[in-house]
Amino acid sequence: MSWVHNEAFVGYCFIMPNLVGFLAFTLLPVLASLIVSFTSWDLLSPPRFVGFKNFIDIFGFSLIPEAALASWTDYLFVWQYLTPKDPGFWQYLYNTAFLMLGIPFGMICSLFIAIVMNRKLRGIMFFRTIYFLPSISSLVAVALLWRWIYNPDYGLLNALLGFIGIQGPSWLTHPLWAKISLILMGLWSGVGGTNMLLYLAALQGIPQHLYEAADIDGANALHKFMHITIPMLSPTSFFIFIMSVIGGFQGGFQSAYLMTRGGPGGATTTLEYYIYNNAFKWFSMGKASALAWFLFLVILLVTMVNWKYGGKKVHYQYI
Amino acid sequence: MARVILQNVWKRFGDAEIVKDFSLEVPDKEFCVLVGPSGCGKSTTLRMVAGLEEVTAGDIIIGDRRVNDLPPKDRDIAMVFQNYALYPHMTVYENMAFGLKLKKFSDPEISMRVKEAAEILGIAHLLDRKPKQLSGGQRQRVAVGRAIVRKPKVFLFDEPLSNLDAKLRVQMRAELKKMHERLQSTIIYVTHDQTEAMTMGDRICIMKDGSIQQVDNPLSVYEKPDNRFVGGFIGSPPMNFMEAEVIVRGEECFLNEGMFEIAVRRRYKDNVMPYVNKKLILGIRPEDIHDKLSFTLNLKEGNVMSGMVDVVEPLGSEIFLHVNTGKNEIICRVDAHSKVQPNNIIELVVDTRKIHLFEAETGCSILQ
Amino acid sequence: MTLYHIMKIKKYVNHAILYSLLILFGITMVFPFLWMLSTSLKDPSQVFTASLQLIPDPIVWKNYAEAWEAIPFGRFYMNSVAVALAVTLGQVLTSSMAAYAFSRLKFPGRDSIFLGYLATMMIPGMVVTIPVFILLKSLGWLDSYKALILPGVFSAYGTFMLRQFFMTLPADLEDAAKIDGCSLWRIYWQIILPLSKPALSTLAMFTFLGNWQSFFWPLVVTSSESMKTLPIGLSYFQDIYTTEWTLLMAGSIIVLVPALLVFILNQKFITQGIALTGLKG
Repeated sequence: MSWVHNEAFVGYCFIMPNLVGFLAFTLLPVLASLIVSFTSWDLLSPPRFVGFKNFIDIFGFSLIPEAALASWTDYLFVWQYLTPKDPGFWQYLYNTAFLMLGIPFGMICSLFIAIVMNRKLRGIMFFRTIYFLPSISSLVAVALLWRWIYNPDYGLLNALLGFIGIQGPSWLTHPLWAKISLILMGLWSGVGGTNMLLYLAALQGIPQHLYEAADIDGANALHKFMHITIPMLSPTSFFIFIMSVIGGFQGGFQSAYLMTRGGPGGATTTLEYYIYNNAFKWFSMGKASALAWFLFLVILLVTMVNWKYGGKKVHYQYI
Repeated sequence: MARVILQNVWKRFGDAEIVKDFSLEVPDKEFCVLVGPSGCGKSTTLRMVAGLEEVTAGDIIIGDRRVNDLPPKDRDIAMVFQNYALYPHMTVYENMAFGLKLKKFSDPEISMRVKEAAEILGIAHLLDRKPKQLSGGQRQRVAVGRAIVRKPKVFLFDEPLSNLDAKLRVQMRAELKKMHERLQSTIIYVTHDQTEAMTMGDRICIMKDGSIQQVDNPLSVYEKPDNRFVGGFIGSPPMNFMEAEVIVRGEECFLNEGMFEIAVRRRYKDNVMPYVNKKLILGIRPEDIHDKLSFTLNLKEGNVMSGMVDVVEPLGSEIFLHVNTGKNEIICRVDAHSKVQPNNIIELVVDTRKIHLFEAETGCSILQ
Repeated sequence: MTLYHIMKIKKYVNHAILYSLLILFGITMVFPFLWMLSTSLKDPSQVFTASLQLIPDPIVWKNYAEAWEAIPFGRFYMNSVAVALAVTLGQVLTSSMAAYAFSRLKFPGRDSIFLGYLATMMIPGMVVTIPVFILLKSLGWLDSYKALILPGVFSAYGTFMLRQFFMTLPADLEDAAKIDGCSLWRIYWQIILPLSKPALSTLAMFTFLGNWQSFFWPLVVTSSESMKTLPIGLSYFQDIYTTEWTLLMAGSIIVLVPALLVFILNQKFITQGIALTGLKG
């Protein structure tokens, strides 16, 4: 059976280049990262095994010094005397979640644009190109542009607000407005891009006869939108949502790095940024790895919850 | 010298037995058709001959060589696929020349062979086109052409006509037959369509669940099916089957369906006698049941059944009636000018020379 | 007025509303770019005038010359092109080979290995980044083309996407090729690859775009100026010339325009690719 054995041999030859790279740059690093997360390692001295210390340092709480814990009620309400060991982590987790508030707005805008784009109007390709421009522009350039737009004294945005008599905030140096600024910039650069195209493709995939049947049933435009378009798009919406949430949890570094350097006072530092700081600024590889694994588990959990509960509401297109 | 012999060939995928103990000898120059319902293992058998599937057990011999371990290219065969399998990125010429190029034929030789085959098939004007630009029938011809240019010992066809429309299929059927006569090559042809099998094959091999049911020439298969499956599979509309009890009355033997009786001819009596008072499966082809009014041959009392007409299907040249006898729904063929209407009561006569009898349990014919 | 006329008027009103929306959105998208262009051509003294003067007076072309001189943009361009090309080429080749084996060849362990690929696709990049950084550091490869290129070449996603595409190619074609006498290698090279041009070019395009815009990894592994890619170079430029907005904008335009041109020329292809892979990938 020489030629049959040949097939297996050829198969191994074909996957070999990719597999070697996959092992070296994905699989082994994943395992290594888990090990590193149990060490303390600054890359200068050899790594030291520290058990769960990194994780405790991140998630742990300690008693505040002045807690006396005299009576049993003190023990019952002990949480009052606890303080997180790493307040930064909780703040950055909150920031990461806050920045994800942009996701639903982005999805609605993308859907809206896709619906307009789906009308066979003259010159629609021109508009589509224009809407797509921000998403393929280098984020470094876009971030610079928006830093200029957000400039509190000379920026475009406050100048425009000034026209209608509003005193604009100092966008990037206020803890809350800085986050909102990042969300707005994200919306601007993202709404006309990939998600819009996905929605457009999905819209074009809805069979016309469904709308015709609805016409015969006497449905108006709103009915049709609510009972045909939205349900038929739900697989796409589901897909976009999951991908955005996964992206949101592990993102936020680049725009924050370019716009605010994570400031003011860590107000725009996300988990990804925090990992970057730990790994490549402070060289505490162990803690950075522990954070990365935490991120991994969160994403795993979100995905599983999404599939379990989100999946039921999704209407899959019949064949 | 291009006979194909399969000796006790088995094919298993894990626990599933796809082909079971398959033995068949296809002599040189024969057009042999493997026919059976989908999933009966006919395509797998063909693919084992081609070398696309491994043989689990048994031997395959092409010419005088055992080819079990030879790759397809060294078996001296050509194959035509159901979906034509033309390379979409090559022109018709390149498609036909590809195999020859790989065999390192000289360019003039390739060109000559391709042109010759294209002439035969009437596709000489299409050589520069891509498969996408061809109609279904043209693609079919190119696929055949690709096989012809190799001048193989054996042609293998895997349902080559099933993607064509009905009219084109009839035409291509005739053309393939002509081609076989002209090339004088051995052909193994797989189809699920019994009409194709009947019209094209020198011999037909009927398969079911991985086993051969019967191998014979088309007429024998039609007239003397070895078992109930073959009887039902070959012929359209299919043979009518009904349970009947064997009864002896005096010297005569009868088959009792419940609503009517048929006398057994004397020459079948010995076959039937072991089953007295037992059930047999009676098989009658639609054309062997006649309208009593137009049936003029020597009529015997007792071979008549009456039933209610459910459906009338006029085909122009003939009419098929679906008749309910009270126990069974049977189909019979009557004259095109019959005036029978649905819900009429009709009297039908069975041509007792043409009946088929099968054992109830095994389905084996007891008349052969 | 007939029903026909009413319908027609309704249609005009409808279109008017749609076009107003499109144009309003369009302005939101384009105006910042125009503002950038305008600033890049202004005299530094005029940058801070609060008025919305779009067309600069005078037009200062020398901002571009100055920006180009300020940092080695040419070198950054070259680095970006070289890295993106190398990663793309490597990824398309290794991914398509592996995808062919995973989709078409039978060998022991095939499905478990593929499952391993799938399982890692969900792992955040950060998990992998840190050990790979340590690995490259210990090999002494930091701040080199090797560090920029190699980790990007081997992609589980590319392999997965191409495998899905190869699965859709009819198996009959390969059988026909085997009967024609093709070796497995030749089937890959002469049948599978030519038939997969759409998928291959989509993968190539996304890999190229992704690498062209890649920021995090080059930021982490490069330190010397000669190794910086365009995004890192531009960011570095911003760090040095913090408040010289005219130069910064000119530099950004230098970076943006060629990429945008390439996009506009290929936009149909790119947008189709997104629809194709986004839904199927």
